[in-house]
Amino acid sequence: MMTLALILAPLAAALLAWRDTRGRLAVRLWLPLAAVLHLAGSLWLLASRGDVAAARLDDLLGLDMTSAILLTVTSTLFLCVSLHTQLWLPAEQAKARRDGHGGLLQSHRVFVPCLLLFLSTMTLVISARNFGLLWVAVEATTLASAPLILFHRSGSSLEAMWKYLLICSVGIGLALFGTMLMAVSATGLEHGGLSLSLLAEHRAQLHPGWFKAAFILILVGYGTKMGLAPFHTWLPDAHSEAPGVVSALLSGALLNCSLLGIWRFLSICPDGLLPFCRQLLVALGLLSLAVAVFFIIHQPDYKRMLAYSSVEHMGLAAILCGIGRWDVALLHLCGHSLIKMSLFLLAGNVLLAYGTRAIRSIGGIFGRLPRTALLWLVGVLLICGTPPSPLFVSEWLLLTSAPLWLTCLVFLMLFGVFAGMSLACLKLCLGEDGEARPAAEDVCGAERAAAVPAAALGVALLGGAYLTWCLLSGQPIPGVN
Amino acid sequence: MFSEILYVIFLALDLTLLSSSRLLHCIRLVALQGLLIGLMPLADAVLRSELRPSMALMAMVSIVVKAVLLPRLLSRAMRRAQVNRELEPLAGYSVSTLAALAMVALSFVMVRSLPLSEYTTHPLSVPVSLITMLTGLFLIIARRKALTQALGFLVFENGITVFGIGMTLENSFIVELGILLDVLALVFIMGIAVFHINREFAHIDTDRLNHLGDWSAQEPELKTEQDEEE
Repeated sequence: MMTLALILAPLAAALLAWRDTRGRLAVRLWLPLAAVLHLAGSLWLLASRGDVAAARLDDLLGLDMTSAILLTVTSTLFLCVSLHTQLWLPAEQAKARRDGHGGLLQSHRVFVPCLLLFLSTMTLVISARNFGLLWVAVEATTLASAPLILFHRSGSSLEAMWKYLLICSVGIGLALFGTMLMAVSATGLEHGGLSLSLLAEHRAQLHPGWFKAAFILILVGYGTKMGLAPFHTWLPDAHSEAPGVVSALLSGALLNCSLLGIWRFLSICPDGLLPFCRQLLVALGLLSLAVAVFFIIHQPDYKRMLAYSSVEHMGLAAILCGIGRWDVALLHLCGHSLIKMSLFLLAGNVLLAYGTRAIRSIGGIFGRLPRTALLWLVGVLLICGTPPSPLFVSEWLLLTSAPLWLTCLVFLMLFGVFAGMSLACLKLCLGEDGEARPAAEDVCGAERAAAVPAAALGVALLGGAYLTWCLLSGQPIPGVN
Repeated sequence: MFSEILYVIFLALDLTLLSSSRLLHCIRLVALQGLLIGLMPLADAVLRSELRPSMALMAMVSIVVKAVLLPRLLSRAMRRAQVNRELEPLAGYSVSTLAALAMVALSFVMVRSLPLSEYTTHPLSVPVSLITMLTGLFLIIARRKALTQALGFLVFENGITVFGIGMTLENSFIVELGILLDVLALVFIMGIAVFHINREFAHIDTDRLNHLGDWSAQEPELKTEQDEEE
């Protein structure tokens, strides 16, 4: 019941924001109000250990512990983003008015409702307990987020949006075919249907041949949405063209939801097929890591660099699923979401101040944006897994529980990513001034909007320090068996 | 018998789609496919005389969305973008026809090795659905116009639906409705995107949407300067 309320509340707020023609209340009231209510609801669900015990077997909605954790992460992220929007949006609008293309920004009546719809559809993905409904929800997240990429109405953002729409829709279409094949593999069962609880109960009776075909298609389909190489091609474009707040949600919240979809299928996999499915996940994860390393080194665009870092971390999460450590994968996802969100928000601030995404023409931001530069350094160190980052703990657990060849490969590629990212980050923070000349008002606005990323990074640091302490002193790490 | 005729018409529509260049014609063909998809489960149910009201309602909704609303949205987008024909497709029409034949052969050969007889009532349903999916994917890959790509996605989705009908998979009402709603919203957004692409670039050729990427010679800062000039 509570789950349904969490889906409907952002919808209602979206409607209210859309009705608000002057656009004052939409940003100032409805967006943060919905975010706060949503977070309160998901915290309540997390505290009451999910909603699934009360749910009947064939129910469409429900939350188990995994999805309650992911829901809380999504909700927290959305609250951070909605608070950041309060600071960032006025500065962005002022800049657009000064430059004389204020009409090119998306209006409130599209931006805020789409953000809220995006939250509602992500909640639906997380709480869906029927594979058909899961598909509907994942496709709906694409539809709700696609208009957001078009915030700056330029040719390149149109291109990014079209790629996102088409590639993700076709990919998710394949996942629908996979879902159908899985329904075929379940036709031998008494009840049939696509209910998660029923299938999990009878998973030994699923037809292995059909399930194998289904899983491959599902992996391709939801893998596209999750940004696994080689289906990741839309991701760097969409994440770099979208405004910072939207990239933060796309990267921090949406990718988790897609991985949850894959994991749901993995959890009903018949035992005989489990090695095959896991090998497939590890292979795709390794390929994603390799692609990310290749493109991060010498990346001239800082937002694309962050996007490829998301590809890298989704690859790591896929490998963690593949070696059967879903608990660590969940920890990794939580840490990644928080840190990557802060980095994308900071990148949005740098873009606001300098108006360009090329590292070379920015030079060093430390002179003009000291706060942002400091936070950026901390964030990049954390995302690379430098202790005491939460990602350090999850990556350490990955390296120690994987077979030796996998450990070596992953370690090598993590080092490559660290080298590439820190080089770019040092150039961006401490380099000589480039040719871009930011206006004083924009710099001021960007510096002022550093509060939310600072808080999020602080939380990530504290949490990471606690986890690292647990790891070092041999205490049980929370959430990890 | 009646269902077999429906499947054969469906196959013929796929082949016609691959060889026609007028967009309006293609939209009408896809609308016809949508109508057939609505009729197929009804035909099955009437023949086996187990028609339920919920099924009839679902078929009605599906026909309204797929045969009326979607074509309207698409033809409106077509008029606003002022394109009528796919003039220079990436794969020409004779090549497309050859590819269609190859797809037909491939699908029938593939289906022969599958143990389908225990699942499906019509030997034609699975090959036709595979051919339709491949047709859709081929349209997306081999045509330039953004609108034809949207059509290709619809054909692809039709193929998946035909597979579901042929295997007599019954989703719950909410899920079926959700899928239809998703497709409708997708085409709506794609229509708006086509309009914007046309206004921004004065064409809707997606192969020329190639400025983003890691290999392009253009540096990001050049692009923002261009935007400012506009």
